[in-house]
Amino acid sequence: MSHTGTGSVVSFDNVSKQYGSLKAVDGLSLELRSGETVALLGPNGAGKSTSLDMLLALRKPTGGTIAMFGEDPYHAVKTGRVGAMLQSGGLMPEVTVRELVALVAGLHPRPIPVDKTLRAAGVESVAGQRVDRLSGGQTQRVRFALAIAGECDLIVLDEPTTAMDVETRQRFWATMKEEVAQGRTLLFATHYLEEADQAADRILVINRGRLLADGTPEEIKKRAGAKRMAFRLPGVPESFLLGLPNVVSVETRHDRVHIQTTDSDATLYAVLDAGYRPREIEVGSLGLEQAFLAITAEDDRANGSEPAPAH
Amino acid sequence: MRGILLLTQAEINRLRRNRRYLIFTVGMPVVLYLIFSKAGKTVYGINFAAYYMVAMSTFGAFAGALNGNAIRISEERKVGWIRQLRLTPLPASAYVIAKILTSMATTIPSIAVVMLLGRFEGGVHLPLWQWFVIAVVIWLGSTIFAALAVAVGYRYPPDQAQPITLTLYLVFSILGGIWFPFTGLMGNISKGTPTFEAINIATDVIAGKSVPAYLAIGLVAWLIIFAALATLSVRSMAETV
Repeated sequence: MSHTGTGSVVSFDNVSKQYGSLKAVDGLSLELRSGETVALLGPNGAGKSTSLDMLLALRKPTGGTIAMFGEDPYHAVKTGRVGAMLQSGGLMPEVTVRELVALVAGLHPRPIPVDKTLRAAGVESVAGQRVDRLSGGQTQRVRFALAIAGECDLIVLDEPTTAMDVETRQRFWATMKEEVAQGRTLLFATHYLEEADQAADRILVINRGRLLADGTPEEIKKRAGAKRMAFRLPGVPESFLLGLPNVVSVETRHDRVHIQTTDSDATLYAVLDAGYRPREIEVGSLGLEQAFLAITAEDDRANGSEPAPAH
Repeated sequence: MRGILLLTQAEINRLRRNRRYLIFTVGMPVVLYLIFSKAGKTVYGINFAAYYMVAMSTFGAFAGALNGNAIRISEERKVGWIRQLRLTPLPASAYVIAKILTSMATTIPSIAVVMLLGRFEGGVHLPLWQWFVIAVVIWLGSTIFAALAVAVGYRYPPDQAQPITLTLYLVFSILGGIWFPFTGLMGNISKGTPTFEAINIATDVIAGKSVPAYLAIGLVAWLIIFAALATLSVRSMAETV
């Protein structure tokens, strides 16, 4: 049932969504290819959920077109080609977990055996419990079970690991890796940047309803264009450090200097040329989180407004 | 179609587990019938035991179709279950169809129990075809309120759906002459309600009179109005469920 190769799984072509005067999504174009694991990153209100809602035919775009497997998203959803878990999705009350998973599997053209789904989602121990009496993390896993209750080609997850503890989260990603290994395409929105960094082959950064960056986690970090550097150098004047080439910021804690720079080589050579011999030199890339903040903050500045809170 | 039946089956299983709805749909009509059916008067040309049997089975059926459904739909919209269902291969209209089918299944016991009570406690004797006709009229009439329940449940959040449903319930049961038949001006207003129309088709059948066309037209008109309202509610809320 899996579709490997380079076929287009999801395609947004200049998609917009307007709520009154608010443009939630503003000319978004993107393409997901078969077998990819893609993270959708963006601050709150960036248009992530609206984009996923439109992809899943819950909302209609006000402009542009969306295709899933080359067809209308509604059709793709109704033929069971996509399994989805949304933050806003709820569960039918007064039934047991097993009954609910069995119902949703029964609605699917290619159902997966209920026991297998319960195990994969890690809810077999609560299978006999009523869904309205579960904890937040358990509810989240039942929602995940509903997303994978049938054989599908694309899995869409909106903030999948919210309300999960660390252990459950690790188990969740292990399950996801198996799903992806079977050739499925995975699109997930998250605000855990380390999760995007570890799980995704590709990251889409969106802000204000537009695509800001599209690349591997490494490319995204590189795109932010910054390195961090630290060394031990007692008694060096701060004015000297600030005068170094390519320096973005300087912070001194005791005799340890932390520098953010756009060119770590040039900055380090200038320190050496001035006759200093720093010790314990460390040079590293910015984490994805700093890169993400740098990219969205730059966009917010370009639009003349306060940066949105990072999420 | 298979999906709709699966969902309907799941809905009925839920109700079997949560039997509170039986208080309104079966318990209340039965208790009221046991207390009041012996009044001995004549109403709408038939004896009171037969009239009250019709009134109480109508009451149970319409209360069941309206009260349970409106608030449940509203709550299920709030928790996001309707949204979750839209992510499954089930067609978008299936949820509403399953709710109406479920409602039709749950009104059967209330009609059956009250009619059995009428036969064996109230001493109502009717030809078989009359039992059949009055049961079917009341049963199909209850779908009017199932449609109204969809309109309310989709449009309003639970905290508003509750008082709105209660108001509609009181208006249609009192104005419809379920508690006591009206005469004069109130009698004429009463004639315009679907509850009155369902009851009077049944009482006319029992009295052996020909059923006036306005009663049947009225019932169909109410069904069309509430079905249109339900469709409007579902459409206008399509992007927010």
